[in-house]
Amino acid sequence: MNAIEIRNLTKSFRGMYALDGLNMTVPQGAIYGFIGENGSGKSTTEKCICGHLVPDKGEIKLFGKPYTDAGVRARVGALIENAGCFPSSSVWANLMMQAINLGLKDRAGEINRVLKIVRMEDNAKLLFKKCSLGMKQRIGIAMALLGDPALLILDEPINGLDTDGMRLMREILVDITKNYGCTVLISSHILGELEKIATHYGIIRQGKMIREIAAPEMDSRSQVYLSLKTCDMREALKLLQAGGYDVKYSGDEMRVYDIDDAERLSSFLLQNGVTPCELKKHKIGLEEYYVDLMSKKGVV
Amino acid sequence: MENAKQLQFEKPKFFERLKGMLGVDFYRLFHTPLFYIFLGIAAIIPALVSMGSMGGGEGMFTNAWQIIAADSPLYIVRDMGEYANMNMVFIFGGIMVSIFIGHDYRSGYVKQLFTTHAKKEDYMISKALVSAFSMTCMCVTYLIGGMISGAATGLAFDINGGSLICAILGKMIMSLGWASLYTFINVIFRKKFGISIVLCFVLGTGIPVIGAAALLGNTPALNIFLYGSSVYACLSSNFLSVLICLLNSAVWAVVYNVLGWLVLSHRDVY
Repeated sequence: MNAIEIRNLTKSFRGMYALDGLNMTVPQGAIYGFIGENGSGKSTTEKCICGHLVPDKGEIKLFGKPYTDAGVRARVGALIENAGCFPSSSVWANLMMQAINLGLKDRAGEINRVLKIVRMEDNAKLLFKKCSLGMKQRIGIAMALLGDPALLILDEPINGLDTDGMRLMREILVDITKNYGCTVLISSHILGELEKIATHYGIIRQGKMIREIAAPEMDSRSQVYLSLKTCDMREALKLLQAGGYDVKYSGDEMRVYDIDDAERLSSFLLQNGVTPCELKKHKIGLEEYYVDLMSKKGVV
Repeated sequence: MENAKQLQFEKPKFFERLKGMLGVDFYRLFHTPLFYIFLGIAAIIPALVSMGSMGGGEGMFTNAWQIIAADSPLYIVRDMGEYANMNMVFIFGGIMVSIFIGHDYRSGYVKQLFTTHAKKEDYMISKALVSAFSMTCMCVTYLIGGMISGAATGLAFDINGGSLICAILGKMIMSLGWASLYTFINVIFRKKFGISIVLCFVLGTGIPVIGAAALLGNTPALNIFLYGSSVYACLSSNFLSVLICLLNSAVWAVVYNVLGWLVLSHRDVY
């Protein structure tokens, strides 16, 4: 079963289309990395799924049911833009209000559980306004985790976090999907971090989904290349092109694609009188895949 | 996905959802200073009213209970001071409701509510009921403050007990209608609760009804408005007055809750 299924979703603001016939499929149990430029429609999609925005048209299904179904909604947690807490109330009071709203039975136990997951158990009495940005993000996650959610929707949860905060957030997300079977939809601009945890990706542009791909598939598609530096780059370029290698030279870096045997390339260059100064093996990651996809004209 | 687990979704019934929403609102009400500040304000108003009426030697009030309600259902009065009774709770109640609901939107908490199973109608009903409750509590503190002020200024306490109870009961019942109106105004203006405060204040003072009374005369037809019925609950009230207040308050509560639900359902939360 798919956790989220969106078909032909359209949403406009004063005649400007933020979402233009968006289709999206998030499998159950996935960590779905939702990527796109600023203003591409990521947050709008998430807000529509959460019921914060009223779509113009289209269909949203969560676990096979309409997204307005109260039964499904009771199992959705979200962190959109901010934690949505009252600044003058304590962390505990904010979580308590959400626990009451969800009709949880063992409220104190549940609050302690989620605070433990986000490593905030010692800060429960702190006023929300006194918390740091990282703490606020974690409280937002804790709030979303109340009541055993089946689906978590997180909008830029690692924005503004330091390295340690990002690592902690990563551990939390992997933990909740592994141990609680939760599906996570996460949008972020920090692709390096996303790449470490996501099992699926969705790339959105101008309100349309341009590519949905599973992490293993992207891995298998990712090209391997060797980056090369020599004393005479032009000579090396001529030589490699003549030798039938797939080469790209950007001025400060030369890439030789679809070859992972550095020794063979080095021998080839030396035999032809070019001495390599630096030779490194690389794999095209999410960031380059994304940049490459975005640079292609007509991909909308 | 290997992590996928078998999921079960239990659909919460209307009363379960409402119970949750009411629980949140009451928890918030009792855990924020706002409620207690406004209870205090409601208790102080009678003292200010009675002190103001003493200006110039002879006081406006001859009886302590006039601080609570007018002698008769007058929509047109000679002196603005004659409006100064328990109806003032509805003015300050409007300010309190605007701040209370405005904070839902300003803090972003409303997103948390609507992400879960809470429906828009639950939100309207819950906010209206909690606001009505807080205004009723303000009526109680106003009553206590009024009695103390009356005693302190040496006013007489002679009254027909039945009429007094009907007047107080009528005004308390009107809280629901007023609370629904204020909730409706606030779901329209949301984060801009400054506008809501001004609008609630203007409507709470009854200026539109007073204006209508100036044109139409002192007619009972004005009872169809919230302010009209609130004035109708006076010291000459009887059981019929309470019934009219009940009917008026209930009808307006339904109207404003339905309108609020329509606004919330067709507009984005932000």
